[in-house]
Amino acid sequence: MKKRLIYSLSLLFLLFSIGAGLTMLYTYRITRDLESVINLHRIEIIRQSFVINIQTVQSNLYATGTVFGKELDTIVDNVSTMDDSIHNCKSCHHNRDMTERLNNVDNMIQQYKDAISYLVTSTANEERIERLKVVAVGIGDSLLSKTQEMATIADATLRTKTFEAINAINKSRMILILTLVTSLLLALGIAMTLTRQITRPVTELANAARMIASGRLGYKTEYRDKTEFGEVAESFNAMSSALQVEREKTDRYIEQLSGLYKVTISFYDIMDIEQSLHEICSNISSILKADRTTLILLDEEQNAFRPAASSQGQEKAASDMTISMQDVVEMYQLSDGMPVIMDGETGGEFHSIAPGPEEKNAITAWMVTKENILGMIRVSSKEEGFSEEDSRLLVILASHMSVAMENAELYSNLQARMVELRETQEQLIQSAKLAAIGELASNVAHEINNPLTSIIGFTELSKEDDDIEAIRKSLDIIEKESLRARDIVKQLLNFARKKPLNLAEIMINDIIREVISFSSSQTRMGRVKVIEELGELPPAAGDADQLKQVFLNLITNSIHAMPDGGTLRVATSLMGEYILTTFSDTGHGIPETVRQRIFEPFFTTKKEKGTGLGLSISYRIIQDHGGRIDVESEEGKGTTFIVRLPKKT
Amino acid sequence: MRSPAVYAVLLVMLICCTATVCHAEQEILIGLIPEENIFNQMARHKPLASYLSDRLKTKVRFTILSRYGDVMDRFMTRKMDGAFFGVFTGVLAMEKLDAEPIAHPVNSDGTSDVQSYIFVRKDSNIRNAADMQGKRIAFVDRATVTGYLFALSYLKENGITDPKKYFREISFTGSHGSAIYAVLDGRADIGTAKSKIFQMLVAKDHIIKDELVIIKRSKNLPDTTLFLRKDMPKNIRDRIREILLSMHNDKDGREVLHKLDAKMFSEAKKGDFSYFQELAQKAGITPRTYNYR
Repeated sequence: MKKRLIYSLSLLFLLFSIGAGLTMLYTYRITRDLESVINLHRIEIIRQSFVINIQTVQSNLYATGTVFGKELDTIVDNVSTMDDSIHNCKSCHHNRDMTERLNNVDNMIQQYKDAISYLVTSTANEERIERLKVVAVGIGDSLLSKTQEMATIADATLRTKTFEAINAINKSRMILILTLVTSLLLALGIAMTLTRQITRPVTELANAARMIASGRLGYKTEYRDKTEFGEVAESFNAMSSALQVEREKTDRYIEQLSGLYKVTISFYDIMDIEQSLHEICSNISSILKADRTTLILLDEEQNAFRPAASSQGQEKAASDMTISMQDVVEMYQLSDGMPVIMDGETGGEFHSIAPGPEEKNAITAWMVTKENILGMIRVSSKEEGFSEEDSRLLVILASHMSVAMENAELYSNLQARMVELRETQEQLIQSAKLAAIGELASNVAHEINNPLTSIIGFTELSKEDDDIEAIRKSLDIIEKESLRARDIVKQLLNFARKKPLNLAEIMINDIIREVISFSSSQTRMGRVKVIEELGELPPAAGDADQLKQVFLNLITNSIHAMPDGGTLRVATSLMGEYILTTFSDTGHGIPETVRQRIFEPFFTTKKEKGTGLGLSISYRIIQDHGGRIDVESEEGKGTTFIVRLPKKT
Repeated sequence: MRSPAVYAVLLVMLICCTATVCHAEQEILIGLIPEENIFNQMARHKPLASYLSDRLKTKVRFTILSRYGDVMDRFMTRKMDGAFFGVFTGVLAMEKLDAEPIAHPVNSDGTSDVQSYIFVRKDSNIRNAADMQGKRIAFVDRATVTGYLFALSYLKENGITDPKKYFREISFTGSHGSAIYAVLDGRADIGTAKSKIFQMLVAKDHIIKDELVIIKRSKNLPDTTLFLRKDMPKNIRDRIREILLSMHNDKDGREVLHKLDAKMFSEAKKGDFSYFQELAQKAGITPRTYNYR
């Protein structure tokens, strides 16, 4: 095609060059002819001017007498012009005849000049002067007739030249038109042929490319020729075939990867090894397109390797061979850990895993961990034989299988440990429950025992006492202690019975202000100054009554912690998703040992003043709201309770 | 009918207009006395006219004065500003026109003088005045020293007091070149002409040298000299003199001089013409009263 393009373009260039050459040639000829005609016209103008010059001189000679005055200047000018004209004419190229004529005229002009000069300057009688004038005028007349004669010749030449020039112009025009039309037609023909030769293979190739794009890999174009397009078409067909081969290979890989994925997934789903192994064997046979796959695993009891599963079912597997540990180790070492292909030509030395009578060939890959040989995957009877690709695939499968087997064993061990752990935990929980109940019972018994001791004591005193007033006092004490016992029981019941939360949208700051107001007489009496530092808060979801109980309990504790008065700083703020409420007093602080137990039920440091349930109830309420209470304290400086409650979502 | 006063006014206006046009076309007209072929003479002097025009910033034009004898009259009638005169016409111009000699060309060989030749054909038997009796003689003009006065004084020296009787035919050719060609062509037997023209034609035409023989030479005489009217403004006269005397110093001037067959121009003085008096006396001519027609 390159050659064709070069030839075509060269031909086109040649055509245009010929056209341009012809145009230039004929333009040159036309210009030359026209120039010749123009020159002839110029000559005619010179000739006419020449005639006028002679006639002017002649008329002056006729008109002037024997004395020349101003008119002599006219004569001199005209004759000089004639002289210049003839020399001008002679300077051009002429044929011999014309050159002779011009020389003749030139000679006559010189004679004319001499004659006139002689006439003009001579001093003689009139007769002699007249004679000289006749001579001069005669030469002038001869010059005129000579000039007319030349004019006739020039006129004939001019006509001939004009006719020739017009003919040449017409001929040139015709040739130029013919050249133009021919060039155009030839150029069109070349362009059309060339276009067809270029577009046809391009169209064919485009069509083939579309076929390939639509998925028809291997499609071949029918276009054939010896040009570059033919080479492109051949390359295209080769590319299409290669694409088809690669596509088939890719499909095969995808199929293998799909099978591999399927098998690998089943490896990690192994919970019951016995159930899954047969299925795995079937899948491996399917991937490698072999008739049979046998999984040979270590039987620890017999210290030998036995078939554990087969693609042909459990019974078939059970009937297969047994290979000693020693044989397996030797084979592993002999194969250097690589898969062993046995097809009658190779692998003859591996007798223990050689193909059986019903098998055409076999391949065996090793399942190993870092330390042990777990077993072998033996695949047999593949119609076209096992390839290196099969070998690589089986290594991957064996590797995954090894990991899966190891994981399955680890999982089994983990399950056993979990069962043990759960049992231990349940035992611990039970022990803790019993200890807690014991402690609670001990606390309850202790709390109730005190008033009961008083009641019993005062009851016995009353029985023995006769003084009614003293009995009444004892009865008052008995009543007071009974009521105390009742309160303890009541609070215990409250603690034991969880009150359900009545959640609503609440504003923490409002609750704080209400609680501070409610406890104002208490703080005043305790000489406690309350400072409010309430930040801007979003609403929260909570049970207002229960939260009031919590905050009141914390304020009361703070007042109790400052027996000599002090400052209670109550602050609220937003921290992320939580609303923080802090109660900081300047009391005596809580020792570390106490701080660890303050949220336990019935733990108190206030003796008779408290039941030890306030903080534990508060702790539970805040927990129920999805929040928490923390305490920070430094002995001698004060304590801060931090309540975190989630903001409403 | 219009009154004569109207015509008078119109006539005055016409004269004024004409004067204006003349002034607008002001030129310096210089005459050339014919020495050779007038066309060749004009061709040789044309470059000088252009050169002077260019330097003076005024058009300078040369014109041929057709015949020696009429030179003075036509100098007057054509209102010429000056002319290249020979010795005779120069003396006449000084005497009659009060013209001032300005400059004369110096020949290429360095000489600035000319002589008068009396010549005959070699094949004739004429070699002295006695041989001339009954022959045809061609003078140039009555108003030329080299073409008439020297020959006349020679004849008078040799006892020929009446040339009309002594010669068969006397003709005046009007130019030195014509006189030479008249003898060469056989139209005259004896001729007289200026040496410069004779040598110039010899250089162009060897036949002259081959066929003519000079039988008498005069003493040196000044060559053609430019004379200017004294009524021409002095500054212009001085400027023309200055241009002519210095033109050999520039390239254009040298080219013009070459065409004139001259090396340079030399200043002319009245004293240059003293030889004329001697010749005039011998010939019995008084310039102031001489009828040169």
